[in-house]
Amino acid sequence: MRKINLWAWLWIILGGLYFFGPLYGALDFSMREKRGILSFVAYENVLKDPNFRDSFTYSTLIALATITVGLILIVSTAYWVHLRLPQARPIVDFITLLPFVVPAIVLVDGFIQIYSGPPFALTDTPQGTNVLLMFGYIVTAMPYMYRSVDAGLRAVDVRTLTEAGQSLGAGWITILFRVILPNIRTALLSGAFLTFAIVIGEYTFASLLARPAFGPYMVLLGQDRAYEPAALSIMSFALTWAAMMLIQFLGRGAPGQGQVAGAH
Amino acid sequence: MNRKSLLLVLSLFVVGALLVSCAPAATPAPTAMPAPTTAPVATAVPPTAAPTASAMDALVTAAKAEGQLTVIALPHDWCNYGGAIDGFKAKYGLTVNELNPDGSSGQELQAIVANESNKGPQAPDVVDVGLGFGPQAMQQNLLAPYKVSTWNDIPDSAKDSGGYWYGDYYGVMAFEVNSDVVTDPPQDWSDLLKPEYKNDVALSGDPRQAAQAVQGVFAAGLSSDNGDVAGAAQAGLNFFAQLNKAGNFVPIIAKTGQVAKGETPISITWDYLSLADADTLAGNPKITTIVPKTGVVAGIYVQGISAYAPHPNAAKLWEEYLYSDEGQLQWLKGYCHPIRFNAMAQAGTIPSDLLAKLPPAANYANAVFPTLDQQTAYKTAITTGWDTVVGANVQAAPTP
Amino acid sequence: MADPTQADSPGQPLVRSFLPTDLLVWLGVLPFFLFAILFILWPSSSLVVGSFQDIQGHFTFKNIVDLFTPSILNSYLLSIQISLVTAVAGTLFGFMLAYAAVLGGLPRWVRTAVMTLCGVAANFAGVPLAFAFVATLGRTGIFTASLRDAFHFDIYQHGFNLYSFGGLALTYLYFQFPLMVLIIAPSLDGLRREWREASENLGASTWQYWRHIALPILLPSLLGTMILLFGNAFGAYATAYALTGGFLNLITIEVGNQISGNVLYNPNLGLALALGMIVVMSVSIGLYTWLQRRTARWLR
Repeated sequence: MRKINLWAWLWIILGGLYFFGPLYGALDFSMREKRGILSFVAYENVLKDPNFRDSFTYSTLIALATITVGLILIVSTAYWVHLRLPQARPIVDFITLLPFVVPAIVLVDGFIQIYSGPPFALTDTPQGTNVLLMFGYIVTAMPYMYRSVDAGLRAVDVRTLTEAGQSLGAGWITILFRVILPNIRTALLSGAFLTFAIVIGEYTFASLLARPAFGPYMVLLGQDRAYEPAALSIMSFALTWAAMMLIQFLGRGAPGQGQVAGAH
Repeated sequence: MNRKSLLLVLSLFVVGALLVSCAPAATPAPTAMPAPTTAPVATAVPPTAAPTASAMDALVTAAKAEGQLTVIALPHDWCNYGGAIDGFKAKYGLTVNELNPDGSSGQELQAIVANESNKGPQAPDVVDVGLGFGPQAMQQNLLAPYKVSTWNDIPDSAKDSGGYWYGDYYGVMAFEVNSDVVTDPPQDWSDLLKPEYKNDVALSGDPRQAAQAVQGVFAAGLSSDNGDVAGAAQAGLNFFAQLNKAGNFVPIIAKTGQVAKGETPISITWDYLSLADADTLAGNPKITTIVPKTGVVAGIYVQGISAYAPHPNAAKLWEEYLYSDEGQLQWLKGYCHPIRFNAMAQAGTIPSDLLAKLPPAANYANAVFPTLDQQTAYKTAITTGWDTVVGANVQAAPTP
Repeated sequence: MADPTQADSPGQPLVRSFLPTDLLVWLGVLPFFLFAILFILWPSSSLVVGSFQDIQGHFTFKNIVDLFTPSILNSYLLSIQISLVTAVAGTLFGFMLAYAAVLGGLPRWVRTAVMTLCGVAANFAGVPLAFAFVATLGRTGIFTASLRDAFHFDIYQHGFNLYSFGGLALTYLYFQFPLMVLIIAPSLDGLRREWREASENLGASTWQYWRHIALPILLPSLLGTMILLFGNAFGAYATAYALTGGFLNLITIEVGNQISGNVLYNPNLGLALALGMIVVMSVSIGLYTWLQRRTARWLR
């Protein structure tokens, strides 16, 4: 065991260097706005702007909505594919990877063309646009979300668990929420992290749908400046990390307990 | 991609009085891009005439009733658009929705098309695009004609006679130099090849994509072949191949951060962006803006109102604001030469402190304003030739 | 719940005998396909249509024919190369890191920190990432400079260059391997300690344990994640644009040139290029499915 431990530390340290090296580079630069000394002027400049907090809050809320709706859709689909429909796997795989190769700008133009007029008219109201934005984000996050859930489901024996549940007389909802979900908690968390980080920084969708999100804010503030963009990326890295630690912390309670009631 | 690199594809005209066009008639290359003169112009629609004082009041009222304006691809530090937007908001009390500040001219037009039937805040009311995109947008019926009250001050060569698009500001290609790293800045294109500038020089865009970078290559060529526009594209490519071979060229998009960091201490960019960067960085590091002695190439942008604008009156009011003395001075504060610069200079309406902050007028004296045909020709030559002439020897992956 | 079909499904085993099984089973993925049609396929249908149109909207094959010019084929190849390299390297490094974090016997907080950090890093891309690398490993970057000052060792004199294929790959890895860590971690969780103990009790070597137990369980996830990494790198645009302006001709940069460039602006060719990317992606998924079947047989 000792040997494994040492190796493990080695990899962690290597990974840590890779993580923090470039961040350190950006951090160091972001603190050089004042000549010759290290200072937080660039950070103050960023924090002075009230839009900073507003846009971050907005993006956080959209991210939470995306995670919730996205996970419901992806988990139920992935679960079903594992259990009943392995023959659908290639096509589901393909669809979930499409967002990588369809340029976001093409997708968002398509969104506007379809959903701006009747019968949907989603862009007419801010609420409608928010919903549209959320669906856009589910699309963007889907490759990551689906992959983590899929890997999680592979790690547990879905079929056996389900059959065991059934033989004990549990319904589908109960099985899903009391048996499957707790077993793939890590996977759900991974999916949630990835989604959160994507949504916080996303630019194209938010900007072209004219929503006050954090991504467009970063671009607007960061353009043609030197130190502020570096400060902003450090801050958004830190904030996103903090938010994930929070998700991780909240995710500690057995998931699904409260939701079972909601499902009936 | 970004707005900085946003420049013309094709350019016609010379802004007269101040500048001497020394561009000889170059080989006009026939291209897919239709010449604006042959474009089917919907002349049946009479352009709205310049408003009188009372008409202006009516316009303000109508715009206020619409309540908002949607603009696209306007970074706040670009030509002081931040100041212009704030000034407009303060003056008329309208909400301004800002879309895609990082967008390109192509994306601006695409946004009009995508939002044809959308009356929400996603549909741009006005666009600010590279010169070549003006005629193109008009031909695609994306623009609505409008003539601002100061229309006559705009040189004829810089506007569509029907009022579909009109030039707004211009600048010239310059060297943005980080004086901390480079103590003896280059004064002309040929200086860039000197060994003392090893690993120093970068373009602020990809020359296969960004018009700003294409202009840089063209300007370098114009300098090295002594002002022959026809041969400038090839000469420019050769120049950059040489620059790359000498190890002076840094293949990276030079943004403000990279310049400040010293990674690209000499960046080839528009003079107004460099001058604005000098202000932003406030001496840390010190930025020097050098307009080269030869090969001075000017570029111009144009305004237009979307044919599908959800807030047409607000759009007209915005144009009126931009072309008023106040609006023109906003651009000048961002070091862009507003299109009415000459008229205003004559009328004495430019504050002297603003004038003093500009580089000496002599720098602009021999600026070349390439014509639309010329631009089309060298654009094609540069974008297609870049990979083979300049890029080939740096390609890391083996070519099959 | 967004998934009414599942709410109905308790009765399914009974109903199943009356109706064609296949049809009913497909009902379970109906919401997903509905979503895919509404928010992916329909909005991107212009991509397929536009690929076969010229700028005036007339039908043409020219865009598709143009895909086969050497420079464009070269772009596809370069993109595939960098995606493959970073997918394989990301898979290996990410797996080791995930293994260390999950099964390395380290304190619990290490794992939490690694997982959350990976979540952020996996999406740290574009201009900020490019700049972070420039500030660190560029010619004037801190790492480069401190090596030069402390040891008189200039990595740029020894073959390193951030603005090259290798440099871009190194930068891509920053968002590639965290993705691997996040996605493979649940599978590693699934490896029960008892299995290892049981195999050891039966006298199996570490190699035998991996070859016959751990790998067969992990391989589908490993391959699946590798293809995700491939797609992730294949679609990356902003990072490459910022880092190697004008020198590495990746296919996404070519798409960007055509769809939203200021110079070339031929959106229809851009759409055709993206269509080509979809074809490449489909072929990769086909290969992956085939590979998975093959390995499943091999492992059995």
